Amino acid sequence: MIPARLQWPVGIAVVAVACVLPFVVSGFTTSQILTRAMILGIAAASLIFLASLGGWVSLGQTGLYGVAGFAVGNFVEADGGSKTFGMNIWLATILALLVTVAVGLLIGAIASRSEGIYFLMITLAFGVIIKLLFEKATDLSGFGGINQIVQPEIFGSAQLQPERIYFVCLVVSIAVYLGVRYFARTPFGLAFQGIRDNATRMKALGYNVTLIRTIAFGIGALIAGLAGVLNVWWNTQISPGTIDIGPLIFLLMIAIIGGLYRIEGAWIGALIYVILDNRLRSVELVGERVATALGIIFLLIVLLSPGGVMGIYESISRRVRRPPSGDDAPAGGEGAAAPGVAGD
Amino acid sequence: MSTDKRRWKWLSAAFLAILIGVVAAACGGSDSETTTAAEDTAAADTAAADTAAAEDTAAAAGGETKIVMGFLSNCEGPFGPFWDATLAGYYTALVQYAGATPVDPADPKAGVTGAMVPGTDVPIELNTNYGCSDDKADKALAEAKRLVEQEGVNVLIGPLSGDEGIAVANYALTQPDVTFLNGISGAQDTTLKVQAPNFYRFFSDGAQWTAGLGAYAYNVLGWRTAVTIGDDYSFPYTQTAGFVSEFCSLGGTIEERIWPALGETDYSSYIAKLPKDVDGFFLDVGGTGTVQFVNQYTEVNGEDSLQGKVMGGAFISNPQIIAELGNKVKGVVAGSALPSDATTPEWEAYVAAIEAAFPDQTANAANIFLAGYYNNTVAAIKGLEAVAGNIDDAAAYHAALNGTEIETGVGPVTIDGNRNAVMDNFVVEVTDTGTKTLFVVPAVDQSFGGAFSTETPNPDRENPECVAGNPPPWAASITG
Repeated sequence: MIPARLQWPVGIAVVAVACVLPFVVSGFTTSQILTRAMILGIAAASLIFLASLGGWVSLGQTGLYGVAGFAVGNFVEADGGSKTFGMNIWLATILALLVTVAVGLLIGAIASRSEGIYFLMITLAFGVIIKLLFEKATDLSGFGGINQIVQPEIFGSAQLQPERIYFVCLVVSIAVYLGVRYFARTPFGLAFQGIRDNATRMKALGYNVTLIRTIAFGIGALIAGLAGVLNVWWNTQISPGTIDIGPLIFLLMIAIIGGLYRIEGAWIGALIYVILDNRLRSVELVGERVATALGIIFLLIVLLSPGGVMGIYESISRRVRRPPSGDDAPAGGEGAAAPGVAGD
Repeated sequence: MSTDKRRWKWLSAAFLAILIGVVAAACGGSDSETTTAAEDTAAADTAAADTAAAEDTAAAAGGETKIVMGFLSNCEGPFGPFWDATLAGYYTALVQYAGATPVDPADPKAGVTGAMVPGTDVPIELNTNYGCSDDKADKALAEAKRLVEQEGVNVLIGPLSGDEGIAVANYALTQPDVTFLNGISGAQDTTLKVQAPNFYRFFSDGAQWTAGLGAYAYNVLGWRTAVTIGDDYSFPYTQTAGFVSEFCSLGGTIEERIWPALGETDYSSYIAKLPKDVDGFFLDVGGTGTVQFVNQYTEVNGEDSLQGKVMGGAFISNPQIIAELGNKVKGVVAGSALPSDATTPEWEAYVAAIEAAFPDQTANAANIFLAGYYNNTVAAIKGLEAVAGNIDDAAAYHAALNGTEIETGVGPVTIDGNRNAVMDNFVVEVTDTGTKTLFVVPAVDQSFGGAFSTETPNPDRENPECVAGNPPPWAASITG
């Protein structure tokens, strides 16, 4: 990992590069590669937030992302959806985030009593329920999805001025990243991590384990909701297919490619996924078999480094800093090297 | 550290380096790159040469703007099996009208070379980084954006499925200089409601494909009550809307509308739910679901149980479906935009064109997936011919398309004010080997005899309502 004294300079350099990129790449790359990666990165960050700090792998984040997107689509003027509110986009956005957090708290209250595979299955069930709900409740999702969702005027058109929505996504990404890092150091965040490490002991110490977990899940829902809102601002469209099983699995892939236990991995995984998804079909050998190629790359990453790209990076940096002296790496390998973001 | 661990570390480092290389290459790649990566094979060599030729001559003839044609269909999902048929339709039109030559007549995916705007020396550059969707609107939209904004496509043929068409038509509104011609997506809203001035559909929509069915059920078969069962998305809503509108206008009633999810694999509960006391039902379960539904239905009710009891949408008369289901669908009456038993010169010319380009695809001549892409690509070429390959002024190209009449297997096809085809429709009966045309409903337009307009509700699970009166003009002539 990056030494503490270099963290801020490196972070500032990364942000500086991100700020310059829209001016040196095409509008398509800004919109379809960088902005899409930012949005998927924020959605993946909600998953990694729960995985790294709470030890939970949630498959419900795509559903929550969809709740926010559909809520915005219904609250504002659009083609499809309820068409009854016609709200200002900002009010609609705030309400959409509140609805998403409320749904997140509800799911969290139920799922937080479970662990491991059971938690994963419960959140998967909720993800599928949300998708089916929007598929069937066409008063909320339109026929063929909700199209022509209005965008905030101040950001112009996501199609004609792609750099504006990109910078919005960049700012939100930075806020989410710093927010998660800050949260990990707060008493509440430490308590959440304590529950991850030993829930029984935390309960014995007097912590309300279920309440803390539920609130943390609500925070995860807020992060997923931000991604959902940005997605409809950017794409001006959402349909039940947006939150189908496929996107749900791809979001998990992004988190695993990046590194399920490092918050930075969310954006790295998203960028790799988006670039591969976009460029692989240009490779003649791959053609229309993009999903197969993505699956093979995913398998390779999982086999080579259970900690994803961040895990590879950490193992290399450890090796560089500590030449081989006969000491083995800490038990657990790359995947378990950094189970959290608090001490980075 | 053990040797194994060290090896894994080095492998990891190597893999990271490869990933970084991929990322760097991708970021550094041109946003308008086309087929130059495919230089390993002879076919791709030829394509690359074509690309170079296109660059050299585009400015010399036609206009300053190079014509780059792209293709968007489904290579995955429930309509993935029709990928080759859609490619065959697209390339057959280019072979027939743009002088292109198939690279491999046995494989439409291999593409064609040498496409030119007819009557000019303006090349049509064919982008072979095909748009590959999976029937989801998001995926089709992302692929359309990739083709237009990254690959530089300015004439896009596609997409395939209903919701995809609506999303791409909405996207067309933001790209006024790009010309979109539908593939075979059949949702009514795509042209009737979205109204993108640069989105064209030279093939009828799903509702038009059912023209004549409602009157046949009411006047000839004597049905008075019916149920409908179709996949739960925009295209079957549109097809069902056509049947319901016509059947109800004559006095029939719809007892129930049943909507299984697209991609459903077990229809037993829906089959059990079908009321027994109705005269018949309209079946519009599509894609791979048609085979599954019919197999399950006939297992329960007997091999000939569909005959006289079922009217089908476009899927059930599809040659691939008939070949799969054989006697189980024999005798079923269906609406179709294509007559496989036609012997007209137009039909024979159309079949001959497919045979000349891709002989193995001749059996798919009556496949709407092939025909839809064929019609729209023919229209794109005819429009280019009308402007002599000059698409600098997109509005002029669009004006030319608005006035274009194309020759198809079912005769001349024009478009209406919504840029949607006005086409004959065929009511057919499934036979041992294909379909037999019972009668033709001439020149069906998207308004369906006045039943649908920009003011009527979108076809959905409940709409249109079942209302008697104002039958379409062709209904009275369909009698026993």
